[in-house]
Amino acid sequence: MATENTTPVIKIRNVTKEFGSFTALSGITLDINPSEVVCIIGPSGSGKSTLLRCMSFLEEYTSGEIEIEGRLLGYKKTAAGMVRDSERNIDDVRRNVGMVFQHFNLWPHMTTLDNVTLGLRLSKRIPDAKARDIGRDALARVGLGDFAGRYPAQLSGGQQQRVGIARALAMGPHVILFDEPTSALDPQLVGEVLDTMKKLAVAGITMVVVTHEMGFAAQVADRVVFMDRGRVVEQGKPSALFTEPQSARLREFLDTWRQRNNLFQTDQARLAAVGDRRTTEA
Amino acid sequence: MERFLDLWLQYGPLMLSGLVTTAWICTFASILGLVAGLLLACVGGTTIAPLRWAVRGYIEIMRGMPILILLFMLYYGGPGIGLRMEATTVGVVGLGFYSAAYFAEIFRSGFQSIPKGQIEAARMAGLSGLQIIRHVKLPQMLVLITPPTVNQIIILVKESAVLSIITVAELTKNTTEFVNETYAVIEPYLAAALLYWLLVEAVAQLGKYVERRVRF
Repeated sequence: MATENTTPVIKIRNVTKEFGSFTALSGITLDINPSEVVCIIGPSGSGKSTLLRCMSFLEEYTSGEIEIEGRLLGYKKTAAGMVRDSERNIDDVRRNVGMVFQHFNLWPHMTTLDNVTLGLRLSKRIPDAKARDIGRDALARVGLGDFAGRYPAQLSGGQQQRVGIARALAMGPHVILFDEPTSALDPQLVGEVLDTMKKLAVAGITMVVVTHEMGFAAQVADRVVFMDRGRVVEQGKPSALFTEPQSARLREFLDTWRQRNNLFQTDQARLAAVGDRRTTEA
Repeated sequence: MERFLDLWLQYGPLMLSGLVTTAWICTFASILGLVAGLLLACVGGTTIAPLRWAVRGYIEIMRGMPILILLFMLYYGGPGIGLRMEATTVGVVGLGFYSAAYFAEIFRSGFQSIPKGQIEAARMAGLSGLQIIRHVKLPQMLVLITPPTVNQIIILVKESAVLSIITVAELTKNTTEFVNETYAVIEPYLAAALLYWLLVEAVAQLGKYVERRVRF
């Protein structure tokens, strides 16, 4: 965990986001520290994806401040208040932020390697040969070293998402944001993506993961943040959060999740799960 | 029979020169229209509202006006405001800027067909707006917009016949000259129709070739 004098990679202060009259985020304050793996959980519509998109400024936040490594993201302070920054400055502030999307968002007209190297070549202006080396390394790290020449359509969903991860990785980001990276995958393919992410976590890459995979959060996260209705309701180490939820809302959320999982388990496992819940509530 | 041959020997070259004029006017007008149309579509897609309105206005005006009116204004009205152009130049410029409005709409639909997520991924890869157009949007939309673009060029080729009215010596004008001087009507116009068809077919074949090339 962070000590007091480390600069957070991402510093979020009192951030709100409104879509017309709907308030998606109402005053979020959160720090993401170097090498930390933070999982954000919560029901649909709780604002977790919106928060993640604000961290990359794919979504403009309405008020508050987000800083990336000490630099204000998306706005500049003037005498007249906060003004939207130029695209060039926004790109510069977030150049060390990588993002992995729910629907992969690969470019279908390019090979896997070209997908991974496009940003290196065009944005970082790294010569082609060097970019290809970096790209191949990144693909190897996600276990797709032999797939450089394939097109996205020739890959399974899990492989596509790993290319998405390699694409973020290749840019050498200081933090990677994962927006429900396994939600679009069928259950058989979820594992390979989670395993890849685990490896990155072990390697010390700072990660923020919006996810419904409680197992992953419990195993890999340094900190779990529970959001509901645009607020951070509770946060803490997964061991504490999952076993001793403080708020009624989180208890309810975890109960629902356990019940749903029980539907697919054997009698014995169901008993264990019920026991688990009892200890939780005790 | 001999007279018939004489006629074609005399007027055939006139029609062929008309065909050549039509061909190069349409070529330049298409290039001008495509470039201007792409610019319009790019500018129309920016976040700067006045620029978007200007593009919208341009497209509305061009689409709402017969090409002949535009040509009359350029050719007869142009000199009044210091725009003195030869008839053929008016033809290229008029057809070019007129079709630009249609090409712009085709490009716009192409740009809109690219999923938003791909653009966001490109943003996160640090690509600038122009780089996104060049490397992410254009290569994918070419597959989609080639057929309607080819169609629009074919329409342009056939509409170029109205240039005869502002005295451009293109295929229709020269054919009409043939008719007026010989009183043969059906044969020259049939021949002109055939030549237009050949031109259109050439455009269509070129389109098919491009379609094969842009597929990925």
